[in-house]
Amino acid sequence: MARKMLIDGELGQTATDEKQYDFDLFVIGAGSGGVRASRTSAAFGAKVAICELPFHPVSSEVIGGVGGTCVIRGCVPKKILVYAAQFRGEFEDSRNFGWELSDEIGFNWKKLLHNKTQEIIRLNGIYKRLLSNAGVTMFEGEGKLIDAHLVEVTQPDGTTKQYSAKHILIATGSRAQLVNIPGKELAITSDEALSLDELPKRAVILGGGYIAIEFASIWRGMGAEVDLFYRKELPLRGFDDEMRAAVAKNLEGRGIRLHPGTNLSELRQSGDGIRVLTDHGDQITTDVVLFATGRLPNTKRLNLQAVGVEVDKTGAVKVDEYSRTTVPNIWAVGDVTNRINLTPVALMEGTCFSKTVFGGQPTKPDYINVPCAVFCIPPLSVVGLNEQQALEQTKSDILVYTSSFNPMKNTISGRQEKTTMKLVVDAETDEVLGASMCGPDAPEIMQGIAVALKCGATKAQFDSTVGIHPSAAEEFVTMRSITRRVAAGTKLKTNL
Amino acid sequence: MAAAPSLRAPPLTLASTAAALRTFSRTLVLQPQKPLFTSSRALRSPPLPPFPSNLPRRRLATRASADGGNGAPDPRQFDFDLFTIGAGSGGVRASRFAATYGAKVAICELPFSTISSESAGGVGGTCVLRGCVPKKLLVYSSKYSHEFEESRGFGWTYEADPMHDWSTLIANKNAELQRLTGIYKNILQNSGVTLIEGRGKIVDPHTVDVDGKHYTARHILISVGGRPNLPDIPGIEHAIDSDAALDLPSKPEKIAIVGGGYIALEFAGIFNGLKSEVHVFIRQKKVLRGFDEEIRNFVSEQMSLRGIEFHTEETPQAILKSSDGLLSLRTNKETVDGFSHIMFATGRRPNTKNLGLEDVGVELAKNGAILVDEYSQTSVDSIWAVGDATDRLNLTPVALMEGGAFAKTVFGKEPTVPDYRAVPSAVFSQPPIGQLGLTEEQAIQEYGDVDIYTANFRPLKATLSGLPDRVFMKLIVCASTNKVLGVHMCGEDSPEIIQGIAIAVKAGLTKADFDSTVGIHPTSAEELVTMRSPTRKIRKDPSPAMIIGKNSDRVDYLLEALKVVFFLFHERVLFYPCSANELSCSCKVCIQMELLLKSFMV
Repeated sequence: MARKMLIDGELGQTATDEKQYDFDLFVIGAGSGGVRASRTSAAFGAKVAICELPFHPVSSEVIGGVGGTCVIRGCVPKKILVYAAQFRGEFEDSRNFGWELSDEIGFNWKKLLHNKTQEIIRLNGIYKRLLSNAGVTMFEGEGKLIDAHLVEVTQPDGTTKQYSAKHILIATGSRAQLVNIPGKELAITSDEALSLDELPKRAVILGGGYIAIEFASIWRGMGAEVDLFYRKELPLRGFDDEMRAAVAKNLEGRGIRLHPGTNLSELRQSGDGIRVLTDHGDQITTDVVLFATGRLPNTKRLNLQAVGVEVDKTGAVKVDEYSRTTVPNIWAVGDVTNRINLTPVALMEGTCFSKTVFGGQPTKPDYINVPCAVFCIPPLSVVGLNEQQALEQTKSDILVYTSSFNPMKNTISGRQEKTTMKLVVDAETDEVLGASMCGPDAPEIMQGIAVALKCGATKAQFDSTVGIHPSAAEEFVTMRSITRRVAAGTKLKTNL
Repeated sequence: MAAAPSLRAPPLTLASTAAALRTFSRTLVLQPQKPLFTSSRALRSPPLPPFPSNLPRRRLATRASADGGNGAPDPRQFDFDLFTIGAGSGGVRASRFAATYGAKVAICELPFSTISSESAGGVGGTCVLRGCVPKKLLVYSSKYSHEFEESRGFGWTYEADPMHDWSTLIANKNAELQRLTGIYKNILQNSGVTLIEGRGKIVDPHTVDVDGKHYTARHILISVGGRPNLPDIPGIEHAIDSDAALDLPSKPEKIAIVGGGYIALEFAGIFNGLKSEVHVFIRQKKVLRGFDEEIRNFVSEQMSLRGIEFHTEETPQAILKSSDGLLSLRTNKETVDGFSHIMFATGRRPNTKNLGLEDVGVELAKNGAILVDEYSQTSVDSIWAVGDATDRLNLTPVALMEGGAFAKTVFGKEPTVPDYRAVPSAVFSQPPIGQLGLTEEQAIQEYGDVDIYTANFRPLKATLSGLPDRVFMKLIVCASTNKVLGVHMCGEDSPEIIQGIAIAVKAGLTKADFDSTVGIHPTSAEELVTMRSPTRKIRKDPSPAMIIGKNSDRVDYLLEALKVVFFLFHERVLFYPCSANELSCSCKVCIQMELLLKSFMV
């Protein structure tokens, strides 16, 4: 979809038509991407407005909140719950380190929920302040397009107002979807799961993606019986197969029941909970059913088609590499474009957008070596290509280095859980193409590795780096012997 | 053992000042037209050598390969190609690698004990038995009390406060050490190295005596490590060192820790976490000399918040034992009573006594460190030394690097110099520190123009736990090349976070690379790639007073240097930088300089 950029001088241009608009930029949606784009555009001198739905932890067509998915219904509350859930493992591990804990350690879900909500409200306030400090005008309400330069905002009281803008940015994000099976109304999505009134004692999760396994870890850590159903042989499709296997093993090791190759066919309310039927004909009764089966872009009520903004089959806004839609002055960033749906990527797209449009510096987001993390317990983090991708995308042989070791803490705690690391190296250029790790602190460790990959680090440079002893991360610089060499063009067994 | 990097400017001795002045005068001679104090660079300390070699560079490269391995000129028959004294990190690594190159290798080590002495040690060495490993295990254990605290904010409730049983911890720790020392023995055995238990002593350049039995070897490697060093003050016999602190029969109720280095801070964290009352006594104003100033401030602040009491600028003078068995520590300022234990973490000395080194002509430094060249060769051709015994950078991974380089040089026919640039290191204090490269002070001295990026934030976990934990990060960037010169961090997971950054620095990291890296959200580490605007920009400043004003710790050093400079000018060893080259010259430049010098003499 690359297209020649038209640099029309934007701010530099003192054209008279500028005065016709209320704003230089109107942003619909104040999540990670929208807030970043607004702030950075304002910093370039643009007059910016942003609209967002009223605040609520659970999103819908008419509620949302400044901060967006990441802050209110995603990364942040999720990580808080992961922190809480991790303590159970810590309690178990602490005993062999000499700690004597009473058998009844209680867990007060309501207290956690309260503290989590307080933190989210605080962050929501911070985001609002960030916007007003940057000189961005905020409107509360649902935004939709009237024409290429006109946005209508439906306020919470139902009244509408219209604002004109030279540029419009769509940053409305996405929302969790329910699969269409009988009884689906009994299921919840991740939004509700982050704000349940009661902590479930039994939970069924459908989905093999990162959201599914994060919640599996969260609920398990809080003491629930967790059953995880997914269609494939292993969870986390798209990740390196070896790491997928490692994650599956760890989930099981922590007491989560895995049901690979299994789908849910029906949900029924019963006296003691929700009765779940699987496509294998099994039945299971549970307190809560979470559908973590994907998210869809929030584009339905934006009136996009009417103004000529094209969307794809999933409803994602089609954009070129500068985030421009099929209407030249309408742009879109973040999950609504369904490129790489990560907060830091939305931030990058938002920044690149404002540089391009208001900074006079056309900038494409760089999607190479974007690291990411799955906050299951223990977490998984990866950067660059996995083994399969490396074989598809490079012409040379691939060298694979793997290490699976017992972390030092486990030597005393007795926990049977290995940390797994993997490097994929181009045999010809020696460049490290990808790195992955599953084990404690993986996301913190991988950030630095991602910086190294951005520098084009070679395996020789990894090897010449002195380790930090004793750490888990030092294993990445001491992987001396090749685990295997895979000839160029080899097809790996996939579709697990 | 993990150690503070020794990359700070060396203490000012006349010799090093003279070296500094040689550089200084060279600058003056080469650039006679430039006024003297136009740049801070003129005042910088002696440039750091690319590697901390403490023997003059020699003609080793060629000789090593000629001498090593098979084509040796010496026709004598030896029992072994290599005899290694000391089976710690460096010795084991060197022996194994030498064996894989085909050398016949023997290694000797003292019998196993958790406390080291002239007659006890154990395969694995300091790192495995009395350093990194047991220390980290105790850190893990002690950290739980903080985690229990944190968990309350996340909804966890306790009927009774968790209690700690010291003896369970120590028993499990010692079982693990036994396992590890066994693994090390297996590693040696599997690589075909002959392990001899006993105390090795050098008889002649090719002979080692182990408890009366003589072994001959073409090469001898000394890797005997270091040991804690206690000052000679009255009552010192009541004090313990880090060896003993790792293996106490019971948990201290109230402990004094003397020292401000990394070992002192790590133990302060351990005992504080296990609910001992901890007092740390340091001679200086701040902990961790040699570390970045802001890190020094930050870590002691965070440790204080966790309940550790620091007594600064106090020099211990005596330990007194009262009738109830408790100890008092008397310093130049006060006497603090009621200690169950007093631990000294006041430095470590190389284990080079009674090795017969002096007799065979191996040169030692004043502190007993074996002097080696950049290939780890001593002043005796057939004798080499690696690790803490040479007191270069006293870190396990560095000893491993030196051991590996030694084996490559001598038996792999590939002369290899260990690379000491950008060696990362960690302090497992609570919170821990990870760091790499230059401190701000060093960067200014070396590069003049630097940009400093800092972040000081409350991590997500602390917002829920309600604890006052914070994270501090700092990037030091060369203003002209955009290269990242130093990365410093104090806070949860710092050591794990810094490792990857260290690889990036090896790969030539620039600030732009940092910026173009996408963050991993939500982590602490992502802050490192989202530091967009510099906290401050430091530029060459014409007035040295400005630099001194920024950093009181360097005042003494600079003043001393200036005094010597002034003296040398008077003695006409150095000349003023103007064309006249005369002491009485009255040109603008010379007058300006004289004024400056005089202002510092006051």
